[in-house]
Amino acid sequence: MDGARASGGRAGGGRVRSRRRRGGFLTPPWWFAAPAVLVYALVVLYPSASGVMYAFTDWNGIGDRSFNGLDNFQRLWQDDAARGSLTNTLLLTVAIVVVQNGIGLLLALGVHTHIKSRAVLRVVFFTPAVVSPVMVAFLWKYVYNPAPDAGLNGILGAVGLGSLRQDWLGDPSLALWSVAGMVVWQFAGYSMVIFLAGLEGVPAELHEAAMIDGAGRWQRFRSVTWPLLAPSVTINVMLSTIGGLKLFDQVYAATSGGPGHASETLSTVLYKQAFVYGNYGYSTAIALVLALFVAAVSLVQVYYLRSREVGS
Amino acid sequence: MTTSFDRAPLSRRGFLRLSGGAAAAAALPAVLAACGGSSGGSGGTLRLVGVADQQKPLDLLTKAYTQAKFSTSYAPTDQVQTSVRTQLGAGNAPDLHVVYPGNGSAMSMAQIAQAGLLADLSDQAWTKRIPDNFKPAFQLGGKTLIYSAGSSVIGAIYNKKVFAEAGVEPPKTWSEFLQVCDKIKKKGKVPIALGAQTPWITQLITYALVPSTVYAKNPQFDAQMKAGSATFANSGWTQALEMYLDLQKRGFFNDNPNGTTFEQQTSMVATGKAAMAIQVSAVLPDFRKAATSPDDLAMFPVPGADDASQVWIPAGVVVGLGVSARSKNRDDAKAFIEFLGKQENINKWAEAVACVPLVRDASSKIDPVLNPFLPFMDGGKAVPFMDQAWPNAEVQPAHFAMVQELLAGKTTIPKGLAKLDETYRKK
Repeated sequence: MDGARASGGRAGGGRVRSRRRRGGFLTPPWWFAAPAVLVYALVVLYPSASGVMYAFTDWNGIGDRSFNGLDNFQRLWQDDAARGSLTNTLLLTVAIVVVQNGIGLLLALGVHTHIKSRAVLRVVFFTPAVVSPVMVAFLWKYVYNPAPDAGLNGILGAVGLGSLRQDWLGDPSLALWSVAGMVVWQFAGYSMVIFLAGLEGVPAELHEAAMIDGAGRWQRFRSVTWPLLAPSVTINVMLSTIGGLKLFDQVYAATSGGPGHASETLSTVLYKQAFVYGNYGYSTAIALVLALFVAAVSLVQVYYLRSREVGS
Repeated sequence: MTTSFDRAPLSRRGFLRLSGGAAAAAALPAVLAACGGSSGGSGGTLRLVGVADQQKPLDLLTKAYTQAKFSTSYAPTDQVQTSVRTQLGAGNAPDLHVVYPGNGSAMSMAQIAQAGLLADLSDQAWTKRIPDNFKPAFQLGGKTLIYSAGSSVIGAIYNKKVFAEAGVEPPKTWSEFLQVCDKIKKKGKVPIALGAQTPWITQLITYALVPSTVYAKNPQFDAQMKAGSATFANSGWTQALEMYLDLQKRGFFNDNPNGTTFEQQTSMVATGKAAMAIQVSAVLPDFRKAATSPDDLAMFPVPGADDASQVWIPAGVVVGLGVSARSKNRDDAKAFIEFLGKQENINKWAEAVACVPLVRDASSKIDPVLNPFLPFMDGGKAVPFMDQAWPNAEVQPAHFAMVQELLAGKTTIPKGLAKLDETYRKK
């Protein structure tokens, strides 16, 4: 079918071009995008670009401002709290990317079968993703209630695992991972949907051929499914990385970055610097560094992951 | 191969006409709303943004004020802090907005007034009656820049039934306080509920003790801190934090205070699982709502010294209102503040939020549970909440973090206070 379309395109190139000139709907002219681009430029690009200037000032949000060169960036470099939050952000991101996508993939493989309840299960697993992250954080504060007979601790006690009870959000060495668990619970279903879309695109005949060749279940997954899932992996890894690096809502609602600074992320630090401490200039500098960091990580990821996609 | 697009009966011109019309129709309400908003703002309607605690008194008083119409909105502290400060920076602040007394937070009177964004209220009659010890909370450079109806206190909100079961009475000295906690613990109840996961809760025990350990001995402490001749580390702050941690060491708090929230703390006291919580009187309504009967609860001052005559208490001016200096309706807004400054309205506001009125007369009704605090306030043994005298907005959150780290055993008192001193000295 693709070949026929390609050869048709070559043979009848003039006809296609004339169809485009007449305004065929298949390839709308670039200026169709103009209104959206204009709105995006006005609402997103212009404010973001003009905001960069504040990173080089001592603005407190309400008073006069003066340029202070690279002082804010120097301060960021020396700021223990900001450095700690960068470590937390990276740990959180790695945990979320690995666990969320791992569980998402397992769920996708599980519901991409012929079991009767697969449609219901898909909805159930995806549902948390449509709930507001702040709402999820408030709900999970109940789940993470440290009382021995409440929430997760209560369940652990009821099934004879009372020794595993924890102060989930109050223990500084555990709070960050508890937040990660909450995020994974919410978005594993989201990853599942993207993997499912990828699985739907794996041709059944390849599996049949592999089975005829004597490949087992694991070998079929490793040699047929996994390589063809590469585009889904690229999207999922990129989305969860970006989401992890700029994670704010869940952390702020669940722990406010505490106890102490144990679950502080770059986003909570930049929020507090601006809106709690009134250091807008410094906060903008953190935001700028975060944006450049996210862009750099995303570009490297896309470059690497695309290179392993089939047919690239 | 055909697609649904190929078969679509709609021509490009038709599509553009249709989508252009739809876009215009969608944009129309927004345009109309924008026009309506701008004309409404100058038509005698005062825009007021308050914090959630202010809704009850302001619903009452804006309704009673007939000289202007109001467009009001209320939100929790952090949301208001974000939105109002942004509006102040952008030059479109509401005519009347929440302002925190004194200094020490991004929305405090001193921080906003330094940018010239608060209107001077000094010519209003009620400002002449502000008690001297409260003036730093209201004034900067001799000008009164904020209205507040009174003060709230920090003390122990206790469940009378639990106290009766344990056979104990409100204590008068620190030793008695420890004995009371001990007896309650022996009865199998949690003596003190602590919801330190909610950051602002962490500060309340320190604030309850510091008046006795610092200010009773050295009333000039704030001035000395400002002048750089005193530090947290070399003051009674160390003793207050030692007493705080002693309560934890003796097992007088619930398990895992860092994982417990304000709501859980409230519920523990209201339902009798815990005997008391060190709290600000402004949250009494929350505790009463959660209790079977509001009469189950009462308050007493936390005795931070072993000599009852050396016990001082914290009493802070409650969150207030300011008038935007750049408001087009400045005079109308100031007239409303003048109305709020009348004695009967101060009384109404104070009654609605269970605080002690700024000035009292025969008609002032004070919540009876606050009676044990009045002798301290009238006897000059009350000091404003500590953050109201701090020079920047970073000290208070640093205190929250320090207490959580102390409770988790992640830092020591000398290290924590050294960091607090460092934060205090920041510009």
